[in-house]
Amino acid sequence: MRGAKSAKWVAIAAVVALGATACGGGGDSGSGSGKGGNGIVSVEIGEPQNGLVPTNTYETEGGQVINALFTGLTKLDANNKVVNAMAQSIETKDNKVWTIKLKPGYTFHNGEKVTAQSFIDAWNYGANQTNAQQTNPLFSHIAGYSDLNPGEGKKPKTDKLSGLKAVDDNTLQVTLTNPFAAFPSQLSFTAFVPVPKVFFKDPKGFGEAPIGNGPFEMKGKFKHNEEISTTKYAKYPDASKIEAKGVDFKIYSNVDTAYKDLVAGNLDVLLTIPNSGLPTYHKDLPGHTIDEADSAVGYIGFPIKYNKAFQNADLRKAISMSIDRKTIAEKVFLGARTPADDYISPIIDGYRKGACGDACTLNVAKAKDLYKKSGGLPGNKLEIGYNADGGHKEWVEAVANQIQQNLGVKVTAKPFEQFQTILNDLDAKKYQGSFRMAWSMDYPDMEDYLRPVFSKDAITNGSNYSGYVNENFEKLLAQGDKAPTHEAAVKTYQQADDVLLKDLPYIPVYFYTLNAGFSDKVKSMKVAGHQILWDTVKVS
Amino acid sequence: MGRYVVRRLLQVIPVMIGVTFIIFCLVFALPGDPIQALAGDKRADPNIAAILRAHYHLNEPLYMQYWHYISGVFRGDLGETYNGRAISDIVSQRFPVTLKLGLTSFAMEAVIGILAGMLSALKRGKFLDNVVLVATLLLISIPVFVLGSVLQLEFGMNLKITPISGIDKGWPQSYILPAIVLASTSMAYIARLVRSSMTESIRADYVRTAIAKGLPRRRVIGLHALRNSLIPVVTFLGFDLGALMGGAIITERVFNMPGLGGQLAQSVYLRESPVVVGLVTLLVLIYLAANLLVDLMYAVLDPRIRYE
Repeated sequence: MRGAKSAKWVAIAAVVALGATACGGGGDSGSGSGKGGNGIVSVEIGEPQNGLVPTNTYETEGGQVINALFTGLTKLDANNKVVNAMAQSIETKDNKVWTIKLKPGYTFHNGEKVTAQSFIDAWNYGANQTNAQQTNPLFSHIAGYSDLNPGEGKKPKTDKLSGLKAVDDNTLQVTLTNPFAAFPSQLSFTAFVPVPKVFFKDPKGFGEAPIGNGPFEMKGKFKHNEEISTTKYAKYPDASKIEAKGVDFKIYSNVDTAYKDLVAGNLDVLLTIPNSGLPTYHKDLPGHTIDEADSAVGYIGFPIKYNKAFQNADLRKAISMSIDRKTIAEKVFLGARTPADDYISPIIDGYRKGACGDACTLNVAKAKDLYKKSGGLPGNKLEIGYNADGGHKEWVEAVANQIQQNLGVKVTAKPFEQFQTILNDLDAKKYQGSFRMAWSMDYPDMEDYLRPVFSKDAITNGSNYSGYVNENFEKLLAQGDKAPTHEAAVKTYQQADDVLLKDLPYIPVYFYTLNAGFSDKVKSMKVAGHQILWDTVKVS
Repeated sequence: MGRYVVRRLLQVIPVMIGVTFIIFCLVFALPGDPIQALAGDKRADPNIAAILRAHYHLNEPLYMQYWHYISGVFRGDLGETYNGRAISDIVSQRFPVTLKLGLTSFAMEAVIGILAGMLSALKRGKFLDNVVLVATLLLISIPVFVLGSVLQLEFGMNLKITPISGIDKGWPQSYILPAIVLASTSMAYIARLVRSSMTESIRADYVRTAIAKGLPRRRVIGLHALRNSLIPVVTFLGFDLGALMGGAIITERVFNMPGLGGQLAQSVYLRESPVVVGLVTLLVLIYLAANLLVDLMYAVLDPRIRYE
C-alpha cells in the first residue's frame, strides 16, 4: 500500500502543476478591434517572413506593414502611376545621375528629422552583404554596389555605396552604375524607405518595434502570429488626409478563417478573398468589394537550355495556341484570374491589350498545323511540372487536359514538392519537361517584367529558368534604360516585349486579379500594387 | 517507488539523444533548400544565399551540423530560425497557447466522455444508451475541419457568442470552440471505452458482493465499479494528453491559433531543422512525462499494482 499511496501524491502533484501553468499567463485582453466607432481598421495579413526591417522585407505580408509605417520617395497612386511621395522632385539628365529633393517636414515617430542621410544610411545597410538583407539585389543599380558585395567569405572594404551623396539635408544625389530609366519606379518599393539612427544600434530589436516616417506608428511590439497594432502619427505631414485612427494588422494562417471573420464583422479588410468565398463574396459584402487587375502573371515555361525538343519556337506557339485561357480563368479560378495577352501586367504603364495576339488565342486547327510543322515532341509526350504546395494542381491539370485534347499529345501534370525541386531536377537533368511559373513585380515598371525574368543575367541572378538568350532583346533593354523620357523608355521596352512575344520562352497564361473585400466600417478604399492606399480609405 | 521514478527519468536521456539525432537526419534528408524557400518562386540572390548558408552551416556535412546544434543546446542556446528568430522565443510564445487549448480539451473529453460512458453503461439498452451511441458515432465520423467550420458558422457568425478565430479574447472564450473540436473524437472513444469496461465490472462478483453487503448504490458505482473500469481509460487519456500537447495542426489552422502544431508544420515545410528538432524534443519530453504519469496512476486506481 505504501508504494501506491506515494504514487497517488506524485500523480496529484503533477496534475496540479499542469493545471497551474495552464491558468497562468492567460487573459490576454482583447484589443477591441472590429467593434465599430473607434476608427481603427483591421487588416488581414499572413505572418511576415522576417522582422519588420524594410530592407529585409521582400514579401507582401511584411510589405503591407512597412507601407503603413514608412513613406518612401515615390509611391503608386490610385491609377497605378508612379508619383512623388516624400520626394519634391526627381531630376536627371542621363538616367545615371539623379538629384532628388525631399519635401521638408517629415519626421520619424521618435521625433528625429528625416534627411537625405536617413536614406543613404538605410540603403548602405541594405546593400551590404554583411547584413545579408533579402532585398540586397535591388540596390545593385547604385554605383559602388559591387564593393559592398565581394562574395561569400570575403569582407567588403567599405560600408558605403560610392554612388550616394547628401548634397544638403534635403537633397540626395544618386549615381548609378549604368543608366536606368526605371529608377524612380524602383524607389516606390518598400525597401527604399529611410530609417532613423536608432535602427543601427539594434537592427534586430528594431524589427520587433519599427520606427518609421509614415502615417502610422507602432503601438507596442510586433506580436508574432497574432497582431501588429498601429495608431495614426499626428505629426505626419499629410495626417489630415488619413481618416483611419489606426491600423491593426491581424495575422492569419488561413485565409478561409479570415473570410469568415470579415463577413461576421470581426475584420475590416481582406485583400485576398479565398476560393471558398469567391462564389458568394459579392452577395456577402454588397458594395464592399474591389475587383481589379493585380501585378502578377502566370506562365508555363520551357527548359530551352536543357531540352532540345523545346528549342523550336513554333512548337511553343502551338502549345500556347492549344490552351483555352478563358476557361482556365473563369471556370478553374472562378474569375480570380483573367486570360493573359501580354508579358506585362495590365496595371503597368506600357501594357498593350492583345499584344500576344494569335499566339495567346485558342485556335485548335492552327495549333495542330504548327505542331506538325515544328516536328513535334519526342514520343508525342509533354510533361508540365508544378509545385504541389501552392494550389497549382487544378489549373495545371486543366491546361494539361486542354493541350492533350487539342494537340493530340499525351500530357501529364507532374507534381513536385516545392518549386525549387523542379529547378534542381532540371539542373540535375532528372527532369526535362515544362513547368509552371509566375512573376510578381518588385517595382511598377515594364522593365521589371522583362529583365529579371528573360535577360541573360537572370539565368544566374534572376528567374530566367528556361535559359532563354536573345541578343536583340538584350540590346533593346539596354537602349530602354538610356531613354531620355519615361515614354521613350516604354516604347523601347515594348519592342523588347515584342521580341519575347515572337520567341515565347514562357507562354503567358493568366493575369492575377485582386479580389478584395472590406467591412461596413470602411466606406471606400483603393488598392494599388497590392498595397492599401491609406489616404483613400474612408471610415464610416 | 522513488527508485522507479528515478529509473524512468534516467531512461529519458538516451531517448532524447536518439530522438534529436533521428529527427535531425530526417529533416536533413528532406528535398529542397531552406534558403531558397525564403525567396519563394523567385531565385534567391546567389551571393546573399551563400552568405546565409555559411552563417547557418548549411554547407557542412550532417554530423557537423548536428554538432553545431547540439553543442548550442548544451550552452542553453536552442538556435534560431532561418529568418533570425530565436527558437526559445517561439516556444515561449506558442507553448502557452497549445497548453491552454490542450488542457481545456483534455478536461472536456475526460469529464464528458467518462460521464456519458457511465450513463450509457448504467442505462444499457435504454433510450439514453442509444443516444450516446449515435452521438459518439457521429463525432467519430465527422472530420475535424467540417465540425470546426460548422461551429464557427453557428456560434461565431450566426449567434455571435464566441469569437470565430484568434486568441485575442483570451481564455476561456477564444478556446471553447477549438477545444470542443479537438476533444470531439477522443471524447467519443472514451465514452465507448468507459461503457464497455463499466458494463463488464457491473456484472463482476465484487460488485454483486458490495450490493449484497448493503452499500449505497452511489458508492458501489463510483468506488467499486468505476474505479476498476478506469485503467484502459487512463491509458488512453495519457496517450491523448501527449498528442494534445503536440499541437493540433488542423484545429489551429481552422481557428487561427498560434500554437505549436502550426509552427511545426511550417518549419517542416521550410526545412528548419533547429526548430523541428527543438519542438519535437519538447513534445517527446511531454510525452514521456504523460506516460510516467499514467503508469503511476495505475497504482492509484488498482492497489494491487506495485512498482519495484
